[in-house]
Amino acid sequence: MNGRAITSDALLGMIPIVLLVAIWQALISFGYAPITLLPPPGQVFSRMVQQLLTTSFQQEIAATLFRLFTGFSIAVILGVAIGLAAAVNPTINTVVRPIVRVLAPLPKVALYPALLLLVGFGHESKILLVTFDALFPILLATYHGASTVEQKLIWSAMAAGTPPREVLFKVVLPAAAPSILTGCRIGLVISCIVVFLAEMITSTDGLGHALVTAARTFQAVDMFVPLITISLVGLILNGLLELTRSYLLRGFPEA
Amino acid sequence: MIEIDGVSQVFQTSARQDHLALSNISLTIEDGAFVSILGPSGCGKSTLLYIVGGFVRPTAGVASMKGRAITGPGPDRGPVFQEFALFPWKSVLGNVMYGPRQQGIKRPDAEAQSRALIEMVGLKGFEDFYPKELSGGMKQRVALARTLAYHPEVLLMDEPFGALDAHTRTRLQNDLLNIWERDRKTVLFVTHSVEEAVFLSDKVVMMTRSPGRVREIIDIDLPRPRHRTELLLDPRYQKYIVEIERMFDDSGDDELR
Ligand SMILES: Nc1ncnc2c1ncn2[C@@H]1O[C@H](COP(=O)(O)OP(=O)(O)O)[C@@H](O)[C@H]1O
Ligand SMILES: [Mg+2]
Repeated sequence: MNGRAITSDALLGMIPIVLLVAIWQALISFGYAPITLLPPPGQVFSRMVQQLLTTSFQQEIAATLFRLFTGFSIAVILGVAIGLAAAVNPTINTVVRPIVRVLAPLPKVALYPALLLLVGFGHESKILLVTFDALFPILLATYHGASTVEQKLIWSAMAAGTPPREVLFKVVLPAAAPSILTGCRIGLVISCIVVFLAEMITSTDGLGHALVTAARTFQAVDMFVPLITISLVGLILNGLLELTRSYLLRGFPEA
Repeated sequence: MIEIDGVSQVFQTSARQDHLALSNISLTIEDGAFVSILGPSGCGKSTLLYIVGGFVRPTAGVASMKGRAITGPGPDRGPVFQEFALFPWKSVLGNVMYGPRQQGIKRPDAEAQSRALIEMVGLKGFEDFYPKELSGGMKQRVALARTLAYHPEVLLMDEPFGALDAHTRTRLQNDLLNIWERDRKTVLFVTHSVEEAVFLSDKVVMMTRSPGRVREIIDIDLPRPRHRTELLLDPRYQKYIVEIERMFDDSGDDELR
């Protein structure tokens, strides 16, 4: 895609967002929503800019980002490792498959109270919850990608002298990269949602906590700021992942 | 020398039935010979090639190379598949360099050798392209270079030009023969095209329809180097083609057309 096409795509993509903000403003302008409950977008955005410059708000963002990153990274490492192992080793597959089937559809947030009791109110409980939730889409995508690698790629490598134990890293992993990265993209979105949710339920800091605090004191403007911040964070992280993806998959037809 | 001795292959179908794909195949392939395996689709040609490649273990019998039983793949036998099977995450150069690097050759040397091979197969200037950016014929040239790069003693080619259009196919056949003339590696070449088999080979092994057995081995006594335009006018060439085509007619086998 050339530069101009990307810019015009980005502009097209902005339309619904602009529309959403316009509706938001219209709801207030035409008196459908009281200003105390739904503050106008202009007020929220200027408040956000103001907040972003304060150290206290930056610390909230930092706490959320730290949990998000750590939890997501652990999920990627575990998900890829278990997914690959299950795909290439029938015994591991036999062991892993039932537990994955049981745990994957479970609403992980239900584990949060138990996690709080086990590891406390700090970072650990949020990180673990993020990991739990992001793990399964990554694991399942990795497993699927790694178990559908074209046999002849493996044969070609083995004929060229690759020993069987190295096939995993030299062929299976790179061949499964498109699936793995799709899993990561889903995992990242889930991570953003879950870290925020966990902070809303019980936390002493973070963006989710900032929202709950504002809600409890009826600070409507301050309630919207963390919400928009987390969606911006998600947007940026997804953009970064997309860049990584298109670099790593530059040779793949579908990317 | 490759010896295939009493090889049979039974596959379990998904309906849990036994399916006999190859039945008691015995065959000797001399060093430096260009041997084609010709037969209707489904007769077990690929399976036989995979057994020689060491990718599939035969249910009965042995395949051996230089007197040693084949137990797995190895760089002495280089496959070229109809589906190219190039590594999509590697560039043309990366694909061709893969074998030499696996053989422990230092990067600068591997790269120099690979660039020379890419030039030999006619793809100079495409070193940094990815497979997805190449046409089918170009992909198969890369696949051939990738295999030649680790200097196999035997080339195992499974309908390598089967997915290409007629024109590209003819060009690749010519180029393959030119490359082969230089060092006369042993080639085991699977095809279902009578003309392709006669044009390329010293020997054509005709198989029966499933379950595959060796039906006839025909020596192709045509001078080399071969040129398609000359051969098309050569009565001996025409005779081989007609003779082999008739054999299929005799068996009422029209799948070949
Ligand atoms: N892995 C397999 N499992 C079951 N049946 C197979 C398998 N591979 C090949 N066959 C069967 O064996 C027969 C020969 O296949 P193949 O060697 O691919 O034939 P050809 O290459 O001559 O078209 C076919 O009937 C095919 O369905
Ligand atoms: Mg075949």
